[in-house]
Amino acid sequence: MSDLKISNLHKHYGSFHAVKGIDLEVPSGEFTVLVGPSGCGKSTLLRTIAGLEDSSSGTVEIAGRDVTWARPRDRDIAMVFQNYALYPYLNVKDNIAFGLRARKFAEAEVEKRVSRAAGMLGIGHLLKRFPRELSGGQRQRVAIGRAIVRDAVLYLFDEPLSNLDAQLRDDMRVEIKRLHQELGRTMVYVTHDQIEAMTLADRIVLLRDGLIEQQGSPLDLFERPKTRFVAGFLGSPKMNFIPATATETGVALNDGTRLDMPGRSGMKTGQAVVLGLRPQYIAMAGQSLAKGHARVPVTIELVQPTGSRVQATMPLGGASIIAELAAHDVSRPGERTEIDIDMTRAVIIDPKSEQVI
Amino acid sequence: MSATVIRPDRNFKYWIIAPAVFLLLAVGLFPLIYSLIVSFMRIDMMDTDTSFAGLYNYKQLFRDARLWQSLLHTLIITAIALPLELILGLAMAYLFLEKMPGRQIFVSLLVLPTIISPIVAGATWRLLLDNQYGPINQILGWFAGERVNLLWTISPTLVYPAIIFCEIWQWTPFMFLILLAALSNVDKSQTEAAEIDGASFWRSFRYIVLPAIWPVMAIAILIRGLDLFRIFDIIWALTMGGPGTMTETISVYTYNQGFKQFETSYTAAIAFLIIAMLTIIVTWAIRRMGLAK
Repeated sequence: MSDLKISNLHKHYGSFHAVKGIDLEVPSGEFTVLVGPSGCGKSTLLRTIAGLEDSSSGTVEIAGRDVTWARPRDRDIAMVFQNYALYPYLNVKDNIAFGLRARKFAEAEVEKRVSRAAGMLGIGHLLKRFPRELSGGQRQRVAIGRAIVRDAVLYLFDEPLSNLDAQLRDDMRVEIKRLHQELGRTMVYVTHDQIEAMTLADRIVLLRDGLIEQQGSPLDLFERPKTRFVAGFLGSPKMNFIPATATETGVALNDGTRLDMPGRSGMKTGQAVVLGLRPQYIAMAGQSLAKGHARVPVTIELVQPTGSRVQATMPLGGASIIAELAAHDVSRPGERTEIDIDMTRAVIIDPKSEQVI
Repeated sequence: MSATVIRPDRNFKYWIIAPAVFLLLAVGLFPLIYSLIVSFMRIDMMDTDTSFAGLYNYKQLFRDARLWQSLLHTLIITAIALPLELILGLAMAYLFLEKMPGRQIFVSLLVLPTIISPIVAGATWRLLLDNQYGPINQILGWFAGERVNLLWTISPTLVYPAIIFCEIWQWTPFMFLILLAALSNVDKSQTEAAEIDGASFWRSFRYIVLPAIWPVMAIAILIRGLDLFRIFDIIWALTMGGPGTMTETISVYTYNQGFKQFETSYTAAIAFLIIAMLTIIVTWAIRRMGLAK
């Protein structure tokens, strides 16, 4: 059964077409992440699911009930906002209890649920405090507590971590993932951060210009992107794109470097293509265990250590590419060396349609 | 040869502001003190007795039924007009909170009454409410289907509604404007969160909106309350306190005593009574509303 079903949803703001016909089904218990660059319509889509925006056309069903025109309070949802949206004149306990009291729960039940939710989030000692006396991370926990204290069908998160600093964001991400595993509720989560999307999602829905570009499991999108946009959006550092020409056995780069591709298919020989290489699938010569790799001489231009790994920038076939290498392998900038490219993982893109071949 | 040490005159700054301070004292404090002195004398139209009369005038205050009635009239008008202005202003502010086409123009139009001088507004309403030639009776006549001759500014049953209506007409926009500004500052995501939480309009208003707009709202109430307590122009223009002394407010009464009866000393005593009452009320209100924080 699906807890959320969206059919052909459109949203116009005056002449601006923010959501251009989205069909989406979220199965019960799934953690779905809506991700995309700013302005892609992901927040608008979430707010339309919540009922904070009216849809221009199309339908929204929650738990099998058409709620397209229902008020937010009648949709059986809970939501966490980007700026927390805590009630500033109520203390933490009253903030979390607000929704329960609004729904006329008995005070004993309110007490029980609030302490359980506060316990899960480790904010039991803050119940008497007011939002202004809390740190950013604590506020976000209260906001999440306010959502999970109720038995909603659907939990919505609107970029809940984007106001936190990097360290806290990592901690809270783990927390949210853990909550989802414990509660097993259906959650829809909006973010522009592809790492959040990859780490949290059962399923990623990647949006672009108000349309779904591709949806699937994080690994599915990472390994089998359907378009250049998806390939470039997911993964850090970003996928390298190199202009190339299809040959009988693989591709040839603009400087004449020929790279053989095992299992090459779909390309017409002589066709102009774009070769997509993930930095993770490039290694120093001799380090790669993958079969079907291609060995290429390069000159390393720039080295950015990230700890155990190093991001090395080097020119290849007229483009500048980044390779993620093991830290101890890397030569100094300016040095000539050889790299192995795992061509089985390479992506070939048609430069005209931007579709992956 | 010793160097000349320049000692700037540290008191120079005081000399510079002295004229301004002197002027302020002359126009502000002097009349206050002078009228306090006068209130202890017995000056009226007939007699200029400047000898110290003790508390004679203040004792008179307590025997003056017309004074206490005028105070009652003032309180009646305040007690009816103030809540109505507040509620109407708040409702209008809510109405104009959403972005809509023509919002700016409507807000500007709605605020017009407040920028008209009260005496002009009163005179205008006197014409509009005129029993023979006023358009209001004429329009009512259309609905009634016969000639209507309501004596808005004369009939004992109609004067208060007329005064309070004009007062509300003129000053609700003031409340509206201030409350609109306050409401626009309420974080929208908080009311959205409350809506998703299942809160009714009242619950959301009580726990989220009201605490947020309260400091501004309290000041608006205080300002309008003080203005209403001193209400003069509209009444002077519409009824001059009539019929009889039925709509005589404290300001109208003070004016009548001072500039029609020329009971100068007694009027000064009334003025000090008003100052004392307002000081107590304002101090209490500021404390009660938590504005001193």
